Amino acid sequence: MTLFDRVFGGNDAVYGLTEGAIDGAIAQYGEDKAVSFPNTAYSLPCYYAVTGTKVTTLKELKEALGVVKTLMTREKRLNDAFMSGVATALCAEFIEVLKYIDGATPYEEPCYGHLADAVIRELGVPLVTGDIPGVAVILGAAPTTEEGVALVKSYQAQGILVTLVGGIIDQVAEAGMKTGANVRVIPLGKDVTAVIHVVSVALRAALIFGNVKPGDAGTLMKYTMDRVPAFVNAFKPLDDVIVACGAGAIALGFPVVTNETENIFRVPKSLIVQEDVSKFNATSLEARDIKIKITNIDIPVAFASAFEGEIIRRKDMQVEFDGSRVDCAELVQTCDASEIEDHKITVVGPEVDDMELGSKNSIAYVVKVAGKNMQADFEPVIERKFHNYINCIEGVYHTGQRDMQRIRISIEAFNAGFKIKHIGEVLYASVKNEFDAVVDKCEVVIYTDPAECTRIRHEVAIPTFDKRDERLDTLTDESVDVYYSCILCQAFSPSHVCVVTPERLGLCGAVSWLDAKATHQLDPNGPCQIITKERPIDENLGSYEDVDEAVQKFSQGALEHVTLYSIMQDPMTSCGCFECICGIEPFSNGVVIANREYAGMTPLGMTFPEMASMTGGGVQTPGFMGHGKHFISSKKFMKAEGGIERIVWMPKELKEFVAERLNKTAQELYGIENFTDMIGDETVAEDPETLVAFLTEKGHPALGMDPMM
Amino acid sequence: MPFNQKPQKFNAKINAVTIGSGDKTVTIGGENSFPFYTFDAPTENTAKIGVEISDLGLDEFSEGVKAYYEGATTMAEIAQKAAAIEGADFVALILDGGDPNGANKSIEELIEVVKEVAGAIDCPLVVEGCKNVEKDAELLPKVAEVLQGRNALLLSEKEENYKAIGAAAGLAYNQIVGAESAVDINLAKQLNVVTTQLGVDAKKIVMNIGSAAAGYGYEYVVSTMDRIKGAALGQSDNMLQMPIITPVSAETWAVKEATASEADMPEWGSADERGIDMEVMTAAADLAAGSDAVILRHPESVKTISKLIKALA
Repeated sequence: MTLFDRVFGGNDAVYGLTEGAIDGAIAQYGEDKAVSFPNTAYSLPCYYAVTGTKVTTLKELKEALGVVKTLMTREKRLNDAFMSGVATALCAEFIEVLKYIDGATPYEEPCYGHLADAVIRELGVPLVTGDIPGVAVILGAAPTTEEGVALVKSYQAQGILVTLVGGIIDQVAEAGMKTGANVRVIPLGKDVTAVIHVVSVALRAALIFGNVKPGDAGTLMKYTMDRVPAFVNAFKPLDDVIVACGAGAIALGFPVVTNETENIFRVPKSLIVQEDVSKFNATSLEARDIKIKITNIDIPVAFASAFEGEIIRRKDMQVEFDGSRVDCAELVQTCDASEIEDHKITVVGPEVDDMELGSKNSIAYVVKVAGKNMQADFEPVIERKFHNYINCIEGVYHTGQRDMQRIRISIEAFNAGFKIKHIGEVLYASVKNEFDAVVDKCEVVIYTDPAECTRIRHEVAIPTFDKRDERLDTLTDESVDVYYSCILCQAFSPSHVCVVTPERLGLCGAVSWLDAKATHQLDPNGPCQIITKERPIDENLGSYEDVDEAVQKFSQGALEHVTLYSIMQDPMTSCGCFECICGIEPFSNGVVIANREYAGMTPLGMTFPEMASMTGGGVQTPGFMGHGKHFISSKKFMKAEGGIERIVWMPKELKEFVAERLNKTAQELYGIENFTDMIGDETVAEDPETLVAFLTEKGHPALGMDPMM
Repeated sequence: MPFNQKPQKFNAKINAVTIGSGDKTVTIGGENSFPFYTFDAPTENTAKIGVEISDLGLDEFSEGVKAYYEGATTMAEIAQKAAAIEGADFVALILDGGDPNGANKSIEELIEVVKEVAGAIDCPLVVEGCKNVEKDAELLPKVAEVLQGRNALLLSEKEENYKAIGAAAGLAYNQIVGAESAVDINLAKQLNVVTTQLGVDAKKIVMNIGSAAAGYGYEYVVSTMDRIKGAALGQSDNMLQMPIITPVSAETWAVKEATASEADMPEWGSADERGIDMEVMTAAADLAAGSDAVILRHPESVKTISKLIKALA
């Protein structure tokens, strides 16, 4: 026997029953008898939603049954099975509506039966907002009352709306559990056909909230699939009728999880066998892709940004972990969903109680994440937030990153019951909440065993960091397919648009290409949007039709052309947040760079604030450009005008900050050793004449280059 | 050389949104030219004026406003008098009393006020929440529910609560959604994008892009409105083509020019006059910058701005 046989068989059986019931009703009442559900403007909502036809009398109901028959094709194809499932559901609706003839009230407390439109409007809003993260349909009796009640309660605790059909209703009643729409547990009815009342809710939600036109079955099913986070838990034994109903549920996009193992056929993501009822919850949420918002982090101390700046002094400290002395590491690892148990927190090694007061210890935490939209490029973006998360814990202090972090736990926090595992709770909850667009599952392993920490640091973390650095090094403008816009600063600089590329980070220094990519993924309508680079105009200038179109769009027409690599022709604009400004120095054919921290005079006769007044506000001033510190050592730094060879002056502090990278770039591009030695600073010159004399003495290459203007 | 007038023609227009039901409705938006540029194109719908009333009654209002409402004791009577002001197009009920940091009235109490006001007048109704995002997320869906059939404008959904208010007002109960952002074109656009992604019809959204009293960082308001209209018309950006409503009175009656008493500031003259001046100045500037509707408090302000709109139409 195949799944098709079971679905078709169940469908035929229900069809037969329905036909008999309608004929019986016609015989009893006559075919003009009115049929309707109470308190709905949508007639027989399921039939109306699927076909666009309103049924008002038994005669019309009989005709509708003829339409249903046309869905019951018998080819052994998936679509036939789904349509037979839908037909089964519609038959169920017909059987149910007959119960309401003459204004009868077929359902009694605690069962609801048909739900009024008003209930749907009321439930619809929290469904849209995600306050009700999902809808569970539980069918049949659980193996034991305890297991059934535990399952219902687990959903209830997550805010999921639970509807009950069949034996589970008695089990819940037996346990004395409160039910009702107000506690989000709604017993529908004990016949399997009562399941149609929740389908009716889903379809009316599509009509009301999705503006789906009745009769547009394709859009309807897409809506329920995309927007109604429902799923079915069906307890064994499953008869053919339930299997046929299940096919209908799957057609609407609702996966079915069952503990039936006899004569069942697994369909990935749709029909899932889970023998362990205690795992129904996790299996269902994963199958339907439901994420539960974490509103409360279970730790014994407070967690708030107010504690971010808290410093814990040695005398107030219970224990510390110090990456500069012993082996420590913090790491995000992308894993396959099957390798991760969500919210599992493991501590390998001693807890805080086992550590001596005031001692220095090892710690390494690995946050394993999995998600359909997760990419390894987001790992460092998530990891960089650890500092912020751990610091927000009252009585815990964190500095540094990668394998150089340092954590202190205060005596007060320790006395309040704070443990290592609570760091895991905080990391888990924060990562899940903030990165919910990419992280579906998250597990945390914390090592405090020194040998394990050594192993994690040297065998896992450092190789990962090396790989990432290598990736960053090889990440060039040419090696990627898209750039990103960033318009975070438009609130005060309305016409400015940053174009962020791998080799040119945002001028604020805070938004790298990877950051922009992650921001776009996490907030698709946010400040960072994709800019394609398919239509280059001039590769040397870094001008593209795509980039021009993007800046025109994002600056609302204020900017028309921007080049990525020139400070003379259509230079990129600045908002005002630039870390540095470079400006043309005509005497030496070079450029001078000043950083924001530099308070003195530059050889241009201008201070940083004076240069800033010419550069900010989203205007293009050829010869002046704002940029981030890390851009100075980029091979793309004013490449159109000859690149970093043009740099003739920088404040000493900035020069020292960029020296290592800048020298490396100069060596690679021009074969110049110790290039920064040729660059002037405020100790050498603050006026152009002295500077040129210095540059001549050093043989600075800019002097021999073509004038920039 | 003769002057050749060359009208600036746009291929896009601002959405026309009708508020209210039955015989008395107002339509805002619909224009395809900059505000009052009647030399470029005739104005589709003139700008509209709403009169602000509050669930807190008249206590907070200035003497001049109180004098107008004299004799009105219930919210129903206040609403009727507000609707009767010369030049008024609609009534805007602000549920100030809901603010948890203020009177913290219960949602049930506030809903009673909404029902009373809605029952007393048949002109278009705008209902504003208490500005607390959590409270509004609960309150405004209930308001949307009791006003079914009124086609009311609900202010405001914000980035923090757009789902609850957008879904209730725009989807479940078929009202008009007021989308409020904080004087930033990108935030305004983003809110419109996510609201329409919920399924709300773009033609059922009105923006409140944020406001300020003239002289209080007001340049940001002007520049934001200006850029929104520019993008909506010049760049055909359909996520910025929603008409703009600006609650003026709540801002202008809270600044010192309006609140300082005559005893404290004798040289500034009549407090009521000052309040009217602030309200009229700000409203006139809002309209010139791109507001399709303003909400005012003082009957004199309403009269003056109405005259201005008629004269420039």
